[in-house]
This record gives sequence, C-alpha cells and structure tokens, in this order.
Amino acid sequence: MDEQELIAGCLRGRMEDFRMIVERYSAPAMSLAMNILGNRDDAEDACQELFIQVYRHLKSYDKDRSFKNWVYTILYRRCLDCLKRRRQSAELVKKMGRETVLATPANPGHSHPPRRLPSDLLERLKAKERTALCLWANEGYTAQEIGEVLRCSDSTARVYLFQARKKIKKLLEQGHVWLQNG
Amino acid sequence: MSGCKTVELFYALVPLKPWRSLLIRRHIEKCPRCLASFASRETVGSLLVQEREVNISRPLWAEVESALVGDPGREMMKSRAVQSSVLRRWGWATATAFLIVLVTGFLLLKGFRPGGASPTAAVPARFELEYVRVGGQPANTVIYQPQGSDMIIVWAGTNK
Repeated sequence: MDEQELIAGCLRGRMEDFRMIVERYSAPAMSLAMNILGNRDDAEDACQELFIQVYRHLKSYDKDRSFKNWVYTILYRRCLDCLKRRRQSAELVKKMGRETVLATPANPGHSHPPRRLPSDLLERLKAKERTALCLWANEGYTAQEIGEVLRCSDSTARVYLFQARKKIKKLLEQGHVWLQNG
Repeated sequence: MSGCKTVELFYALVPLKPWRSLLIRRHIEKCPRCLASFASRETVGSLLVQEREVNISRPLWAEVESALVGDPGREMMKSRAVQSSVLRRWGWATATAFLIVLVTGFLLLKGFRPGGASPTAAVPARFELEYVRVGGQPANTVIYQPQGSDMIIVWAGTNK
C-alpha cells in the first residue's frame, strides 16, 4: 500500500493504517535510535515516543517533504531528549557522590544474550555526527537529506559527516579497544 | 600532493562550516588521497547496527496502540480543559476590564483626583464673573484660588 494512502487512512482515524506505518518504520527507526543512543532500552523508548508523536502530529506533516525524513527528524529529536535526560541523571548521580547507575543494565533479568552495541567508537562522536553517519552509511542519504533530518543546511550536514568519518578513521587507526575486542 | 596539504591547512585554519563544506565538495570528495583519511561507507556500516539486525524485544505496536487508544478521549478532554481554561481567563479579563471602566467612570464623574482635592472640587458653589468694570471701564481680571483653600481672590485692574 502506498505511503500517502496510509497517511490519508491514518488521518481518517484508521488505526490499521497506522499499524502498517509502525511496522514499516519500526526496524529502520530502531536501528537509527540504537546507533544514536547506543542502548536498546532507550532506543525502544525513543521509538515508542516517536510513533505516538507521529500519530498526534500527522496533521502537521507537509506532504511535499519526505515522510521518512519527517519521521527521522522526530526520532532524532526524541533521541536528543533522551541523551539530555541521561546526561542530567548522570550529573545528578555524580553530585550525589554515588556510583553511576547508568552502567548497570536496565533489566538484569533480560533473557536476550548481551549484544555488542556500537557504543565504544560511536560514543566518541557527537549525536549529530552519529546521526549523519548512520543516515549516510545505512540509508545512503546525501548531505542534503541529512540536513533535512538534522534541520540544518547541507553544508553543515556535510561537515558533520566528514568530521565523523575522520574521527572514526582516526580511532580505527589508533587500534581502538573495539577492534581488540572484536 | 601539495594541493592536498593546502586544503588540509585551510580546513584546519578556518573552522567555518560553509567554508569547510566548500573544501569538501571542491577537493576532498574528489581526491582519493584525501578520501583515504576518512572512513569508508563499508567500514562505517560494519560498525553500526543494521536494520536487518534489529530485533525489537518489546511489542512496540501494542505499546503504541495502548498509548493511543485512550488518546482521542484524553486529547478531547485536554482540548476541552484548555478551551474552558481559555474561556475562563477571557471571562475574568472581561469582568476585570468592565470593573476598571466602571470604577474609573465613577471616579471621573465624582471629580476624583488621586493627587488630592482639586481646586474646582473644593469650591462649594459655582463661581462666575460675567463682566468686571473698574471706574466704569472694562477691567483686566485675574481669578486666583490658593491650593487647598476655599478662598477665591479676584484681582481686577485697569490698563492705566
């Protein structure tokens, strides 16, 4: 079914159409969120918030824009909020003089095996650099499309992307821990 | 080779994004030697979580749906609450404005002045002079009332 038809169906209140949108965008949104946040639980929270927000603001979606980019823009914002919350709680924990609780798994009884998340290398990058890198490498986005998601000019997006690529290259050459573990 | 060094130098020296973007577009993207100092798409792709690797452990749709099922009602309630709150605010604003107009009008009609009693308000009766003559001739007349006093001084004099 065409994306625009699904959107029109959602606007008419058809939840089935919205379910199809959620299913269609769950995996790409999750991969982007995981690459930005480096954490599965946070990524799932961000995706849930994303789809709720998409549903609520579907009326304001501009049909001339790419729907995927619009969804990614919202997700990027949600991820930034999540990182901000994480930073604030880390600062709070630091102030309280306790050991950071962020290092402990959110759900110790989780049945899934521990999966390597791309946190080691990507944590060295800024969130916008990670986003630019992920969109470029996974989605094949151009600087202009990345700029549309990050809400910046294509020049700025291009610089973010190249900075990120340069940092990654440098870290890999330095024999980062990731390589040793990998 | 020397061109690459120059570009690198300019890139490092001028930290302006449009400038750096220009250097990237004009030189770095096209130069194999420069591109070698940036991670390739394949390398980056191998570091990132791919779409096919994603395994969502939580029933995402169920959670989204449960959050949205109550949503229209909540939204309606919210919009109604917002609407009634706006109406209430407008009501209060109108009532306050009406009260202010009423009080101001009343005070103006009563001749009230916040600074104290006005000279005219202190005069118990209207004081009028139609025509003043001195020695049968029209006179220049000055009427004076000291502040805070009931006394009125009429000064009349001829031009001579």
